[in-house]
Amino acid sequence: MLKFTSGTAQLISCSPFYGDFLYTAFPNSIIMKISVIFPSKNREDYVKRAVKTAFKAECVMEVIIVDGGSQDRTIEIAKKHGAKVIVQSDLTYPGKGIAMRDGAYLSRGDILVYLDIDIKNITPEFIEKLAKPLINGEAEFVKGCFERSAGRVTELVAKPLLRMFYPELAKFKQPLSGEIAGLRKLFYKVDFERGWGVDVGLLIDFHNFRARIVEKDVGYKDHDMKPLHALTDMAYEVAGTILRRAVRDRKIDTQWAEKYLKEVRTLDLGIESGEGFA
Amino acid sequence: MRTLLIGGGHSAYFAANAIREIDPNGKLIIIEFTSERVDVLSKMFPFAELIQLEIDEVEEYIKGNGSILDAVITATESDSLNLRYCKVAKENAIPLTISVINNPLNTEILLNEGITYIINPYNLIPRELSEIFDAGTNVLYKFQGTEISMASIKISDEQFLLQLRREMAQSRDLSAIFVSKSGEITSSVEEVGLGGRAYIIGSEKTVEKVLRIARR
Repeated sequence: MLKFTSGTAQLISCSPFYGDFLYTAFPNSIIMKISVIFPSKNREDYVKRAVKTAFKAECVMEVIIVDGGSQDRTIEIAKKHGAKVIVQSDLTYPGKGIAMRDGAYLSRGDILVYLDIDIKNITPEFIEKLAKPLINGEAEFVKGCFERSAGRVTELVAKPLLRMFYPELAKFKQPLSGEIAGLRKLFYKVDFERGWGVDVGLLIDFHNFRARIVEKDVGYKDHDMKPLHALTDMAYEVAGTILRRAVRDRKIDTQWAEKYLKEVRTLDLGIESGEGFA
Repeated sequence: MRTLLIGGGHSAYFAANAIREIDPNGKLIIIEFTSERVDVLSKMFPFAELIQLEIDEVEEYIKGNGSILDAVITATESDSLNLRYCKVAKENAIPLTISVINNPLNTEILLNEGITYIINPYNLIPRELSEIFDAGTNVLYKFQGTEISMASIKISDEQFLLQLRREMAQSRDLSAIFVSKSGEITSSVEEVGLGGRAYIIGSEKTVEKVLRIARR
């Protein structure tokens, strides 16, 4: 068991089985509990491993599967292995942000960790690495990054726009990464974009809350790449999200935002290959 | 009656108006999460008490006021919150716990948590389409508080018509009205012919039995 000291309070890292016991046994201790959330749809081949692995990580009190209307056995398998399950409140595509919001709203942990469910080499360390800066009090929001170069939407859309309107966030290698962790209470104060813009939207909103944000390299991630049509949709939604926030934060007026957004439609994302990273 | 309505969105709008109609002298309390919405809702529903609370504070409110609440209706835009708040209401023995869900696929999840009154606004889509397209069978309504069910059945063969007549004569818990192909309405099973529709109402068990016969 890992022990941390912060003032008079002890931070005790715990296994999922010891959480409630420790809280009773050590009433003066602050135990940071983690909820792991996997947005998912038709992922029966991945769900068992994801849920079991997540439960093995330190401090994990619950694993939540937010299902996007699976036609396969994803829900059944998730429940069988002890995950809490809820179906996305709105099945509109793309609904990643709705899934993330529903996961946050169902959760009970102090810390929320979001992961893609289709990570083939998922280990408990993925979760622990993302949660550690929060447990140690070094950050309120953690953005995961991986051992690979950033994708096309990141390099051609997100980073240029962030440099323009939120230069403090341009330092992030992978601002669109979906592997994130943060304090639950803060997730309740932000607006979740409904679709692909959710990750960059959260980054900007946490930054606006003056939350301490760190980027954490969590190693190599082996997962399926997105089909190209998803990248095109994603580029537009990411741009829209950044520009809407820039308008909201009075960094640009609506007319200019619309003009920029039109130009995103004309971007060449390299459509000759069939799939890619965001 | 003291009713707590949680949520200030689309579903909650209809729920609030319905409660006002049903129980004009009752007390309606509406909880919303944003101050902007609370302002708008307080003008829209002057008969209700509007409260702004954080997401986590709602559970404390239910616990603290559980003894004086007669009903809790969860109608937020997230089924996760609907589930959370319903569970707390159940734990605090509030007589009526009702959830207006956003996604019908969550019905079973809520039922498994012991939430008995689940309102699914999307129920009407398949039912209306089935009527419009003159489907063979169509379960129109199942009331959650009783075991009464209502269905409509296309009378497409002689064999079924004979069995329906027999069932109508024998069952004490089945009633029906019939619409002929030309649109005539009658309550007599003897007057209905092929191509018409039977609208049956009765105990869930008997209605299911008739539906099974029709689907053969």
